[in-house]
Amino acid sequence: MPADPNMKILVVDDMSTMRRIVKNILKQLGFNNLEEAENGQEALTKLKADTYGFVVSDWNMPVMMGIDMLRAIRADEKLKKIPVLMVTAEAQKENLMEAVQAGVSNYVVKPFTAETMQDKINKIFK
Amino acid sequence: MAQPRVTPKAQEAVDEDDQEEKAPDTKLYEELGELARFIDTTMKTLSEFSAPVNASTQQLPQAQSHLLNLKAQTEQGTHRVMLEVEAIQDNHAQISTMLKDMTQTLQQAKASPALVQQMATLGQMLGQDDKRLLDIMTALSFQDLVAQSVNKLVTILDEVEHKLLQLVVVFGPYQKQAAKPDQGKASEMLKQLEATKNTSMDQDLADEILKQFGFS
Repeated sequence: MPADPNMKILVVDDMSTMRRIVKNILKQLGFNNLEEAENGQEALTKLKADTYGFVVSDWNMPVMMGIDMLRAIRADEKLKKIPVLMVTAEAQKENLMEAVQAGVSNYVVKPFTAETMQDKINKIFK
Repeated sequence: MAQPRVTPKAQEAVDEDDQEEKAPDTKLYEELGELARFIDTTMKTLSEFSAPVNASTQQLPQAQSHLLNLKAQTEQGTHRVMLEVEAIQDNHAQISTMLKDMTQTLQQAKASPALVQQMATLGQMLGQDDKRLLDIMTALSFQDLVAQSVNKLVTILDEVEHKLLQLVVVFGPYQKQAAKPDQGKASEMLKQLEATKNTSMDQDLADEILKQFGFS
């Protein structure tokens, strides 16, 4: 099913600059219903309080890492089907395997281009 | 009953036996003494490093401060560039809409095809610039990678500072030939250092430790 341009998307990263970049790319791709969180814990709180169609998250964050947030999402009955895209500098094979085992929908390695992100989003929502 | 008489030779043999029994004790004592002297010399040599160690320890907070400053400045600079890029993107979006409206008007007015084509070309050029603006935005993600590297460096410096301060505390009393109360204080400070091992070093604690051992 193609991505709904009106779906609410949560962008999770402890760096404000990265959140701004990801949101900008998503806007250029036609998504305008965007929200932010600074860490996994804050993201989970927001996800439980509202309806989101997609999560884009960093791996290394204070309070709660992205991978732990992903596991919590997949363990929650209400949240488990939300697609999650990891956008991270962790490019080791072990990290990728860990993310796959945790249930990630797709994985983008920093630094990335807008085309790469679009390609990954298209694959998630095809 | 009379004691059996001991011949002089036999007495000599007994005396020699007594000396052989003492020799291992004496030898052991001498070796222990040498070991103690060796340890003492080593400790004195190690304590001579406390001044340069202190100098390094005092510079570490400055290094951490510079790194965190670097992270903050690159973050600020990146946000400024993003602000300008976003402003241009917004302008382009408006220009693009206006171009579409003007093209439609010209077509309805049956304007010259060349003119309509020019409008289309303008639209394409805007689109190409929009792509470049997006590339600029994604290139700014370098700042995130810089910030992550800075965070790792700050953590490493923090650990090094902990360890250096432990050395200052351990060898400080020894160098000054401290009395037992000072050695007790050293022990207390080591406990405080240990307590801050997994958190960032409190600058006040670091300064207090250095001050206690005579380093201003």
